[in-house]
Amino acid sequence: MIPYQRHFLDNGLEVIIHEDHTSKIAVFNLLYKVGSRFEKTGKTGLAHFFEHLMFGSSANVPEFDRALERAGGSCNAFTSPDITNYYMTLPSSNLETAFWLESDRMLQLTLTEKTVETQRKVVIEEYKQRYLNQPYGDIWHHLRNLAFDVHPYRWPTIGENLADIEGYVHEDIWEFYKRHYHPGNAILVVAGNVNPKEVMNLAEKWFGPIPRGKVTNDIIPSEPVQRGRKEKVLERKVPTHALYKAFKMPARGQEGYLEADLISDLLGFGKSSILEKRLVRGGNDFASIGAYITGSVDPGLLVFSGKMSEGITASHAEASLNEVIQEFLSLEISENQLQKIKNQSEAMKSYESIQLLNRAMNLAYFAHLGNPDLYWEEFEKKSKIRPEQINNWANKLLQESQASVIHYQSIPS
Amino acid sequence: MLLDRSKAPEFVIPGDFDISNPTEFHTSNGIKVFLFSTPLLEAVKIEVICKSSKLHLPLSKFQVPSFTLQLLTEGTQRFSEEELSEFFDFHASEVHPFSGFSQEGINLLTTKKHLNSVLPVFLSLFIEAIFPEEKIQKKKALRKIGLKMEREKNASRASMLFRNCLFGSQHPYGQETLESHLDEVNREDLLDYYQTKLWNKAEIFVSGDFNSEEILKLMEELSAIPKVDLESKIAEYSIEGIESCQEEKPDSVQTSIRLGNWSIPKNHPDYIPLTVFNTVLGGYFGSRLIKNIREDKGHTYGIFSSLGEIDDHNYWVISADVQKQFRQEVLEEIDKEIRLLCEVPLDEDELELVRNYLIGQMLGKFSNAFDLVDRFKAVHFSGEDFSFYQRQLEFFRKFNSSDILEIGKKYFSKEKFIEVLVG
Repeated sequence: MIPYQRHFLDNGLEVIIHEDHTSKIAVFNLLYKVGSRFEKTGKTGLAHFFEHLMFGSSANVPEFDRALERAGGSCNAFTSPDITNYYMTLPSSNLETAFWLESDRMLQLTLTEKTVETQRKVVIEEYKQRYLNQPYGDIWHHLRNLAFDVHPYRWPTIGENLADIEGYVHEDIWEFYKRHYHPGNAILVVAGNVNPKEVMNLAEKWFGPIPRGKVTNDIIPSEPVQRGRKEKVLERKVPTHALYKAFKMPARGQEGYLEADLISDLLGFGKSSILEKRLVRGGNDFASIGAYITGSVDPGLLVFSGKMSEGITASHAEASLNEVIQEFLSLEISENQLQKIKNQSEAMKSYESIQLLNRAMNLAYFAHLGNPDLYWEEFEKKSKIRPEQINNWANKLLQESQASVIHYQSIPS
Repeated sequence: MLLDRSKAPEFVIPGDFDISNPTEFHTSNGIKVFLFSTPLLEAVKIEVICKSSKLHLPLSKFQVPSFTLQLLTEGTQRFSEEELSEFFDFHASEVHPFSGFSQEGINLLTTKKHLNSVLPVFLSLFIEAIFPEEKIQKKKALRKIGLKMEREKNASRASMLFRNCLFGSQHPYGQETLESHLDEVNREDLLDYYQTKLWNKAEIFVSGDFNSEEILKLMEELSAIPKVDLESKIAEYSIEGIESCQEEKPDSVQTSIRLGNWSIPKNHPDYIPLTVFNTVLGGYFGSRLIKNIREDKGHTYGIFSSLGEIDDHNYWVISADVQKQFRQEVLEEIDKEIRLLCEVPLDEDELELVRNYLIGQMLGKFSNAFDLVDRFKAVHFSGEDFSFYQRQLEFFRKFNSSDILEIGKKYFSKEKFIEVLVG
């Protein structure tokens, strides 16, 4: 358990406090409930681009990072399809600096042309570094695009292409800020060597006066039921052939979500997982293979991804993968297998809670799903799932008609 | 009262803080154990770190240590690979062999709940591994794909070439791993390394929540780790570095840059001032390099400088992936920034900024139990303990602009540094 208090300011800001006095630091984590799933075609990547702009200047802060560094702190942020999360770590004695900085950029970001244009270049370089100049770097662009027809999950958070990033105009940026960056769309977690009463006073002082924003109901196009298998072949100068096979799965919090999570663990997590055992250690087709879920707020993907051994084609490898999946569907899952996965989830909780920052992020993330308690409730629900439930869902989800497959073929360089 | 947002809140510079060194124990066969007590923490970490015996092998057999370690979990006298994997996964425990240039060993991450079941099996890996031939072949095939992958990645390639430039390609720390090196790996060599050279000068780092009885029991169990003490091999290899290296890749949209040179060890009196110089140059987000190359010009997503070491060899290096058509400009700007730091004293504002930042970060660096172990290891192998950080903190409080200039003049005023470009 992570002990916490939860409050709401009048303007809608959710404030969560987690005390831990074993060190002299504080973590200040502010989550905005906006990610790339709120973007529109032609303006993709805007949520992530905006994250960069937040580190420019605001009305009273010429340089965000410098002001924080002067108080001994450091910061970073990330954007996902669902959220944008900003975090700072600083000496707890200087906690108020974090409130000052974060509230000023929520209220009155400056967005100078210099910031916008420089960050545009920086993000373009980020795009190249991570997605163009890496072997297999463009896989998520293709896999998302293949799997989703209308939902914004069909592009990665960095954006669908460089042209979109080059094309944002001032109005796009302002509109995005006004729409998504206000107290009612944010969750603040303050954790560490802090006093809850003091935190609430500071929250009232710095965030209290910020006007409640207009909560707009963004209509995100929902993905129609997939009709039939989709397949794409890519040819790239990469070291070895690769296979990506993604199945549609339920949204977080929906029936079947936790089962899908367990299915991916049983099949593809760890050295003793079924796929590793059968296809890597017990077979000769795969050099590596894993399974995981995208874990998204709207219906997402259960993904199998693997690299082939020398000389094995992706289609041959896919046939071997299918064989193992078919067998998995027809066999009973043993109590022992299930217990293993549950032990792992339990231990994972111990490992990840060592870091104060992880605890703060988890509280914020689950608050965004509705309630910080979901962090444990999800775990407990998962612990009670029976083998036959998993089997039922596996049969429902792992159907060829719901698959999107990419054969990533290596060509000589 | 209306809030005045234009006034930054007061802040204080954190005071000193205590960090106590770990408690030292010995196993009954004389291996040193450093225990970091972590009250209330469920996670337990045991790290066995040894001095690599690579230098006892011919250059072409340098893959032997890493294969030996990777194969430990691939089958023992009592358990097959499948049983071992199943066992550790069932107990949610992670076993990580590691093999660096000068150090190697194996780590166990587990929980208090599972430690008693897991430890005996973990310890059996130290003496009962059998190195099945088919597993060796499988590892080779995997490693070959890994090699191809590294060759494709500009950043990995550039880091390798930088070592190449530092040491020369015929030096153990400078040579490139080739497929032929992998082909040379055989079972006899692995067995021999395992039985006579692995676990050389082992030291054990434990963090967990143990009472005194549990500690005694743990020490007894850890005595199962063989004590090996090989004579130190005085390097027979001479260092024949080269000045620069460039690999053009027409398809690349960016260029990976590595720029650096030899440096001084942690126990050198100039080392702590050097850490500050490094921070100002490229060690944090407010650094000169980030401000210039990223935040002003937008030529890169990230650029940073760091201090590194391999064995007793120390170096500094600046790394970045930059827009290809501006790589020459970036090199010139890096050069300019280094020269400025050597010639122009930092102003008060920047001094205060970097001072406060460094002091504040020091707190964060020791904020959890596992951090503590990492910080300790970072200096222990240079013959230091936590007093290193106390001295560093003292220096952060009092350094001035002439300290930085002096470091610049002494170590950065060369005309040309080692330069690697890939892409």
